Amino acid sequence: MSQCIILGKANVGKTLFAINFADYLGINDLEIVSTYPEGRAHVQIYRKDEAIDSLTSISPHQTRCLQAFTIRLRKGKSEKQLILLDSTGLIEGIHANPQVRAAMAQTLAAIRDAQVVLHMIDASSVGIDGSDGAIGEVDRQLCQYARLKRGYVILANKMDLHGAALGLERIKATFQGQTIIPISALKKQGFAEVRRFVAIHA
Amino acid sequence: MKERITQPSDPRQIFDLVEAGILTPTTALSRLSQWERAIVVPQIKEEPKQETLTEIMDELDQLIGLSQVKVLVREIKAFIEIQQRRELEGLVCKSLVLHMIFRGNPGTGKTTVARILGKMFREMNVLSKGHLVEVERADLVGEYIGHTAQRTREQVKKAMGGILFIDEAYSLARGGDKDFGKEAIDTLVKAMEDHKSELILILAGYRDEMDRFMRTNPGLRSRFPLHIQFPDYTPAELMEIAQLMLKEREYILSDSAKTRLWTFAEEINKQQTSGNARAVRNLIEGAIRRQAVRLVKQESITREDLMLITVEDLGEAVTQ
Repeated sequence: MSQCIILGKANVGKTLFAINFADYLGINDLEIVSTYPEGRAHVQIYRKDEAIDSLTSISPHQTRCLQAFTIRLRKGKSEKQLILLDSTGLIEGIHANPQVRAAMAQTLAAIRDAQVVLHMIDASSVGIDGSDGAIGEVDRQLCQYARLKRGYVILANKMDLHGAALGLERIKATFQGQTIIPISALKKQGFAEVRRFVAIHA
Repeated sequence: MKERITQPSDPRQIFDLVEAGILTPTTALSRLSQWERAIVVPQIKEEPKQETLTEIMDELDQLIGLSQVKVLVREIKAFIEIQQRRELEGLVCKSLVLHMIFRGNPGTGKTTVARILGKMFREMNVLSKGHLVEVERADLVGEYIGHTAQRTREQVKKAMGGILFIDEAYSLARGGDKDFGKEAIDTLVKAMEDHKSELILILAGYRDEMDRFMRTNPGLRSRFPLHIQFPDYTPAELMEIAQLMLKEREYILSDSAKTRLWTFAEEINKQQTSGNARAVRNLIEGAIRRQAVRLVKQESITREDLMLITVEDLGEAVTQ
């Protein structure tokens, strides 16, 4: 099965996107397989609102493992199953918590196995902080690495928020030549384009 | 923190460094893209030249002793050739069941012969790879229910296309009905049926114990049509093995050392458990080490000295 991994810095909305995108694709009960860096795995079935409550938070590094969602996409006449992999946010420096570091190492390792990379950037904070603050070196390096993949796209998230339009322009200027889809994970905006992109490249 | 390692050779190292807090994810990503770009042109590994059938048979002939084994291996070879010819002519041919039992004491050449058979079967297109996977009870039997079948299947998978060689196979039946060894046997029997054409199983062990094992598991006996007996090496054969080893390594024995070696060979031949050819090999290797110790103390060393193994180098007795 193809794997599609969601990457980005901490708190850009990766998990919320994964849950809402699965919901958008018509998946009622989310069966989420969480694999922890030490190898422990567990499966839990959530309803959508439960998932949002228990898996997302406004503080960074809520996700400390790889969370796999199985999703189905229509591709031409047939339906295709693939794994949507939600990952731990990457940071610029070295995190003090060894658990978070292990989870980040796990994320990096998972990139290798993925065919499609959805690179998520918080457009609203780019708009407010300026591109130097919110688009970090980690984003640039991620782009350098992930664009070697079959499918690589930048998702400019939080387009519903103030300053996001400016942020999107800055993202476009920084990552010239890359596919960029503006989305709102919260409001489910831009999901049709994401679906099309994933269906083509997965 | 300073980066301590400049060029990791493997992405896994990069991940470990991130986990250890030595690399930032940013640097790790840049290393990963470097690595990924660098491996676009994979290095072409030179395949070791595959031996031809003649070379493999020569290798068999060069083994010392084992005359019956050699005859039997040639029989098997002829049988396969004829079956393949018959198949070409559209004649009825029995499917090739080549699972074997090797009976003999340790150090009588069972593994060596198995390895040669693997290569021979590969050349004759009986097996796709012809490699040898050597396992024993501990590799097959697990610790809890269900674990054994899983472990056994793993080994079977590894051996696919080659030979699964189970040393001291009778130990699988050691613990009686309640033991997990039974589960391993059942899984093996199933694998033999399921992968008839991709796997050859060889059960090896001491003669008496193997006989008992076969008697207690009658279903097994019929599934292993080929039985090969590995007799103990005679003292003369053991001497020949020792001489061959020394020749390959460019050493010679003094006359008194030869006499001492002969008494050792007789002794080894009498002791059933002392590993036969392996005991001889250890003896010679020990002698070579002792010669080195003796020579470093000496002030001037000639070429002859470097080659000569004396009686004191051989030591006082056969050590196991």
